[in-house]
Amino acid sequence: MSDAVLDLPSAREEAWRWADLGGLAAAAALAPVAAPEAEFLDLLGAKLLFVDGVLDEARSDLHRVTVGALAADDHALGRRAAGTGWSLHLDAQAVTDPVQIVHVATGRQNHVPSEIVLAEDAAAEVVETFVGAGWQNRFTRTRLGKGARLMRSVRLLQPAGFVSLREAAEIGEAASLVAVFLGAGGQGSRIDAQLTMAGDGAFVEYGGTLLTSAEQRQECAVRVNHAKPNGASRQVWRAVAADRSQVSLAAAVEVARHAQKTDGEQSLRGLLLDRTATVNLKPELEIFADDVKCAHGATVGELDQRAMFYMQSRGIPRARAEAILTRAFVADALERIGDETVRAAFEADADAWLEAALD
Amino acid sequence: MLRIENLHAEIDGKPILKGLTLSVNAGEIHAIMGPNGAGKSTLGYVLGGRPGYEVTEGSITFDGQDLLELEPHERAAAGVFLGFQYPVEIPGVSNVQFLRESLNAQRAVRSEKPLSGGEFLKLAREEAKKLDMDAEMLKRPVNVGFSGGEKKRNEMVQMGIIDPKFAILDETDSGLDIDALRIVGDGINRIMRQPTKAVLLITHYQRLLDYVKPDFVHVLADGRITRSGGAELAHQLEREGYAEIAA
Repeated sequence: MSDAVLDLPSAREEAWRWADLGGLAAAAALAPVAAPEAEFLDLLGAKLLFVDGVLDEARSDLHRVTVGALAADDHALGRRAAGTGWSLHLDAQAVTDPVQIVHVATGRQNHVPSEIVLAEDAAAEVVETFVGAGWQNRFTRTRLGKGARLMRSVRLLQPAGFVSLREAAEIGEAASLVAVFLGAGGQGSRIDAQLTMAGDGAFVEYGGTLLTSAEQRQECAVRVNHAKPNGASRQVWRAVAADRSQVSLAAAVEVARHAQKTDGEQSLRGLLLDRTATVNLKPELEIFADDVKCAHGATVGELDQRAMFYMQSRGIPRARAEAILTRAFVADALERIGDETVRAAFEADADAWLEAALD
Repeated sequence: MLRIENLHAEIDGKPILKGLTLSVNAGEIHAIMGPNGAGKSTLGYVLGGRPGYEVTEGSITFDGQDLLELEPHERAAAGVFLGFQYPVEIPGVSNVQFLRESLNAQRAVRSEKPLSGGEFLKLAREEAKKLDMDAEMLKRPVNVGFSGGEKKRNEMVQMGIIDPKFAILDETDSGLDIDALRIVGDGINRIMRQPTKAVLLITHYQRLLDYVKPDFVHVLADGRITRSGGAELAHQLEREGYAEIAA
């Protein structure tokens, strides 16, 4: 299976400098494991179960989702995912119940494309969960028409292996994309996104929290391209790294010459639970317009020792105080999830990770 | 209740406390006064167990227990409350969560049943009301965006909820206007002026002592208690200054 990664770029390329290609190859070579239980959240709407990249029809309920052949883009990760995948197409003004997708892998590698196309003023919510082992690679193309709204929540909960997500999105006039990612498993990951603000007044919030321990490596590499005026983009990423693990956050904003009144914000923050852990942050701005507001913040630190002592002096044991402060640190990256059931599930996953890491 | 014997403590190898001896019995309020840099806050932090404050000599016993053997959270569960001169801001953690966690952690150590969310809220609202603090502030992140006076009042709300046996209050009067000073003073009297409890008031100025009458006043200078007396000593200090009295 090592040929799986031969045609991926090398770490000498800037956009891939922190990518854990070795971890990816190792994941694809992992011995198969038994398929874990697929657990859907208690929500109405479509439920899709993919096992090793193949739809398990008997245990799925497609509603408005269709399954068929899809093209991919020419990105190194994306192009591998051409083939059979799922699509959600909504007509103008259509609103659907949440779409849940659980990706189970028992080892090796699997690649699945998907497409979310929302026409004018349509609204959708998509929740994805990755469990199991091996290398799971996904390509998601998103197109939002005028005024369309999409809420995506993606959680990576594989105990081992690797998840790579290639995302390509076009956000139309006054359309809104909110995407929240949670990496709270033991797998390596790369979230590789190209977002284009293709209409006037487009809105994007794209972020999440990546939690790593042991030798784990997770990263995001997101580029937001403001091609039209009056757009607003927010990238809020939180990284927590323990042991000898590594999180890398690269978030770029490009503002085209005519994309005036763009409002871009990048907030990248890392928390080191151990001195041996690493958090790499790279906020990037390329601005060619002259009337824009772009704010960026990037900080890496440890837990506030004054707050730790304050909490302990009130009776809270040290480990619990660490958990509370760490939880507070990641909270603002998860609070954008609009659906209460989904948000509670993601918060519980983050809590479970923190409890294990701080034990 | 509290017995400090020949206490020596240092920060980063620099001696701050140099042989401090003090006994506090149940039912007593003691004021520690002294010039800046005398070691007043260090005494509070050493009693609370703050990391970085190293005791090099001497002993502290609390209710017969060796206080220095206990972790900070164990000291709290044993009944020690440290009111901070600069209460810490904790973004992302609400006052309610913080206090309920604190109280229930202490109750767990004492093998008491945890308070439910509803029980706790009722208690917290009552306490906030007694200290004239808007109950809405309980929902806000701990001390974030609070004025200096609000932070101090929040310390007193915490003390009321936790209901400790022994309170060390470090410059609790700083940042308070006259009205707030009275409210905080009344709070200290109401919560702590009891035969089974005791207070160590650390202060630079005498003004809080108009509201909370100390039974004993001690002058701390250069890491040692140089003089002790009754409430009248505080007035003398205010009149004549530390330079005269502390020497």
